[in-house]
This record gives sequence, structure tokens and C-alpha cells, in this order.
Amino acid sequence: MTIPPPTAQTPLHRRPAVPGQPGEARSPGPESAVRLRGLTKTFGGQTVVDALDLEIGRGEFFSLLGPSGCGKTTTLRMIAGFSDPTAGTIEVGGEDVTSVPPHRRDVNTVFQSYALFDHLDVRRNVGFGLRRKGIDRGEADRRVAEALELVQLADRARDRPAQLSGGQRQRVALARAIVNRPQLLLLDEPLAALDLKLRRAMQLELKAIQREVGITFLFVTHDQDEAMSMSDRIAIMHDGLIEQCGTPEDVYENPTSVFAAGFIGTSNLMPGTYRAGRVHVCDGLAVPVSGEGLVDGESVSVAVRPEKIWLSELTDAMVRVPGRVAASSYHGATTQYLVDVAPGVTLTVLEQNLPRMRPEDRWTKGAQVELGWLPEHGVVLR
Amino acid sequence: MAGVERRPRLASVVTVLFFAWLYAPIVAVVVFSFNSIRSLSTFGGVSTRWYASFFHDDSLIRSLLASIAIATVSAVGALVLGTMLALGLERISSRTGRAVGAVTLLPLVTPEIVTGVAALLFFHGLGLKLSLLTVTLAEITFSIAYVTVIVRGRLAAMSPEVEEAARDLGCTPWQAVRLVTLPTLVPALVGAGLLVFALVFDDFVLAFFTTGVDPQPLPVRIYSSIRFGVSPAINAVGTVVLAFSALLIVLALVAPRLLRRGGAGGLDLITGGERS
Repeated sequence: MTIPPPTAQTPLHRRPAVPGQPGEARSPGPESAVRLRGLTKTFGGQTVVDALDLEIGRGEFFSLLGPSGCGKTTTLRMIAGFSDPTAGTIEVGGEDVTSVPPHRRDVNTVFQSYALFDHLDVRRNVGFGLRRKGIDRGEADRRVAEALELVQLADRARDRPAQLSGGQRQRVALARAIVNRPQLLLLDEPLAALDLKLRRAMQLELKAIQREVGITFLFVTHDQDEAMSMSDRIAIMHDGLIEQCGTPEDVYENPTSVFAAGFIGTSNLMPGTYRAGRVHVCDGLAVPVSGEGLVDGESVSVAVRPEKIWLSELTDAMVRVPGRVAASSYHGATTQYLVDVAPGVTLTVLEQNLPRMRPEDRWTKGAQVELGWLPEHGVVLR
Repeated sequence: MAGVERRPRLASVVTVLFFAWLYAPIVAVVVFSFNSIRSLSTFGGVSTRWYASFFHDDSLIRSLLASIAIATVSAVGALVLGTMLALGLERISSRTGRAVGAVTLLPLVTPEIVTGVAALLFFHGLGLKLSLLTVTLAEITFSIAYVTVIVRGRLAAMSPEVEEAARDLGCTPWQAVRLVTLPTLVPALVGAGLLVFALVFDDFVLAFFTTGVDPQPLPVRIYSSIRFGVSPAINAVGTVVLAFSALLIVLALVAPRLLRRGGAGGLDLITGGERS
């Protein structure tokens, strides 16, 4: 499976470096920041990453999304150079770095544990990479100050990591990586240790920082909200393979596999058999679908997002199914219903609580209802 | 009146007795080191004559200096070897590695007299003449375990990602150890070094078996001298050693703070002393 390079939807016209640093712009090379070909990693006979092909464009915010154990962190570690691939190649900025040690790769990492140097203050932590590279003192000082400004920690430059809060330590780790202006920044679940509110704030901030510095971000996470809200593109990873890759909207609206449909958001999955333009889920329930590329007798599933299903104002263009409300729960902005449409088939429906709706407009348990969704919202998965 | 809290009188008495029992002999040594007469039981007035006799006794002074030298060299040697061992063991996760890790702890539980006899037989077998060198070799061997245990404790608390971060930021594996791992270990290294120094400085058993004739380490020298009758000069020696140990402990407490200030000064050098 080959993931194509970003299309016109992905902005590639971003500034290449920190504002005021046009001299840092790299020589025009290939448009991809990183290219993986057949990347494979096996541990003791077990394949953790399975012949991965992936290309990430310059300046992209790319997320590898998947449950723990799917191989996303292993992929990241191979790109950083901490783990040797069993097979395949890694190119960063058009250069094959597969056998280049980590300290000579133009790649920096923001670690999950932050991994700050406790014996150095914030300034020396951030300036560590620049000193190693032999950047002259004045220039290094200026860039450290700039990076600390960017993460809003200019006033904590003299503090030790132990004196900072979790969110501040996270920012130091980020500043320490981006100050080097690498071709590619790897982020290994950097927000996982923060509480929910701080995490939300940091998501927005991280995205803003990425836009400002224009560095390619490869972000690893198991949190679909995080991936959806920040990424230009997402690759959903499962068992060492990329299940689907695309823009957040694309992977949400058009999942291509049962796993992808279930991992991002929630989906009503109706497994059945395709026959003559319909998926026969069970006796009395046959869902009309666009049968493009399907063969009669094929086992498929129909996936419908809960918020795409209507309970009122149905139109003739919709797929319509009668049902009975089995449960309802009020969530403030929305109300969630569980509706039985056939023996053993229950669909989840999410209805907006609109301003004009009164409490008595909500359906109660046992009510007979009719469900409807537009045919294009019923996604057929093999 | 009700409500007045009663002090636990018995507990207080026991505590006072305990500390008296613990420290009275030491206080006696200090007090009698200033005794003007030769008696070890009656105090005849304040004088520093025993200090004078100690400082004029070349053999005692040489023993004191020998003990300081043995302890210093042993502390440095054990630190280097013990830290290397700890770093190595931390990176081996195999069963062999764990077995080796357990074997390193053996010197901690082996009776010292056994270690002493074994060292003596070993040096004899090698045809090595007993001297300060043999004492030092034996003490280093014995002390490595302490350093390894302390350093491994600190290493275990350190995320492996820290060293990876160093390599990610441009360090070769060796530079990562030198610039990040070792500086992070400094508090553990200072503690381990001082502990080894203190243990070796007043170690008697191992020193007794492995030392040559002259100069002898201070504990061995004191032991030999009291065999020919106890001179109050011994009290003066004890008090000097005590003061020296107290100084070490104060150093151990103050050193980390001094080091930290030194670190900030280093930053000034690197950044040209500019303050934001």
C-alpha cells in the first residue's frame, strides 16, 4: 500500500523557517520531508512494523494514529535512529539516512517523558543541540531566546526543570527540539501526561507553533481527537500496517476499513451480504447502497455515523428504516438514542439539541420512530 | 485542669538514656584528650599536651596521612570502576546480566574477615609485598559494590529517554554519557564517594590483613600501640579523626549547593554573562 504525497489540499507554501530567518531556507530539494519505503521491524519473529510505505510533505502536520502496540512508536524510533529497521529505507529531505546514527540525522524528537536534562537550567537545555552543532554563541543565544519566546517561557530561562510544572516542562522539550530547525520533528505522544484542559490548550498552541515555524511535524498519538484537531493528514495504523491515510475529514467521512471506521469516532456497523444494490443485514433489514465494485453474495458492512442519522424531517432521498427507541441519554448539546431497527440490530443516533427544541420534543423510550440517512452517508466496508 | 497535654515522661527518659549510652564514651574521649595528667579516669585540668605529643609522633602522623591517602585513592578508584559497572549492568537486560548484578552484591554480605584472609592469600600467592598498595587494592575491590548499588539506584530512576534525547540533539553515545548521564549522576557520585572514603578511612579488618609494616593505616597503628599500654595521646588521635569525619559530613551536605551555584556560573561563561 502506497500513500501518495500530499495533494493540493495540503498547504505546502508555508514559510520554511522561523520568521526573520529566510537565510535558513534549505536548498530546493524533493518536496517530501520524509519517505519510508518498505520499512519493517521484527522483534523475535514478531512483525511490529510491516513493510510501511509513507511519504510526508514539507511543512505538513502529519499524525500516526493507532492503539498502543500498533507499531507507531517503533516507526518513530526508527526514523529518529534509535532502532534499526529489519528491512526498508528511510529518507529525510531526500537523503537516505537508514544507517546514519541519531546524532547525525537532521531530525529531532519531543519525548513522551520530556527527557529534560535535570542538571541544566531551561536555557542550557534549549541550547544543548545548538552547542553540539557548534553554532556560535551569539547566534545560539538569540535562537534560544527566540524559541523560549515562542513557547512563552522567556521568564523561566534560569529555572531548572524540577522547578517547572508539567505543561512548562512540555514546552521546554518542544523548544529544545524546534530551536535546531530540523527537517522533521518527531513527537511521541507529547501531550499524554497533561490533564485534559491543558492538553486541549496545548493542542491549539502546538498547531499554531507548527504553522509559525513551518517545520514538518510527525505526531504519534492514540488520541483521535488530538489527531483530528491538529493534523493536515492522518495515517491510521493497526497491527504494523497503515489502514488508511488522508485528511481528517477524509478519514472521518470515508473510512475504508472496519477498523478505521471504529477507531475514529463511532460508527454504526451493520454486517451483511450484498445482493442487487442492497446489503441484507438480517430478515426485514436490507440497506440500499451504491453497489459500485461489489459482487452479489459478498460479505460487507455498512457504516453510518450516529450524527448522520435523522429522526425527523426525513426526505424521500433518504434511506429510511423504522425502529423503536430502546434508550435515550441527554448530553447537553446532544441527545443520544439507541434505536432497535431489527432483532439484534441497534443503531446509535446522535441528535443536536437545537434552540427551537423543547424537552417534550425529545423521544422517549419505547417510541416508534423512523430513521433516515442520505445514501452517501452509508459507507460500505469490505 | 483537664485538657493539659501530658508529656510522655518515660519515653523522654528512655530517649535521653539512649543518647547518653551512645555518645558518652565519645564525649569522654574528647574530654580526656584535653586532660593535663596521664590518667584515663580523673580529669586533672585542661591541656593540649596529648595533641602536641600526637603531632610530634612522626609514626602516628604518617599513619594518619597514609589512611587519608588510602581512603582518597580507594574512593576515586571505586567510583570509576563501580560507575562503569553500574552503567554496564543497566544496559544488559539478559539473564546473565542480572546474575552478574547479583554477584556484585556479594562483597556486601561476605564477612570482612573472610575477604581479608582471601586478599592476604591472594597477594601472597602473587608474590606481592604487603604495603599501602595492597591495602588500597583490597579496599577498592571491597568498595566497588557500594558505589554500584548507589549509582544503579539513581540510574534506575532516570528515564532511558534522557540519554536518547542527548543523542537526538547531536551527542555521540560517549558524549551522551559524559555530558548528560554523568552530570545527572553527580549527587549519587558525591554520596558514594564520601561513603567509600568514610568506610575505608576507619576500616580495620581488611587493612590489618593486607598492610605492610610501615606506615600502617591509622586504625591498625592505634591497635598496635594500645597493645603496649594505652596512652592518652590515643584520645587526641580519636578526637582529630572525629573532627575530620564531621568536616566530611558537613562537606557532603554543602557540596551539592556549591556545585549548583558553580553550574549557574558556568552558564554565565557560556552565554557571556548576559541576563534577560
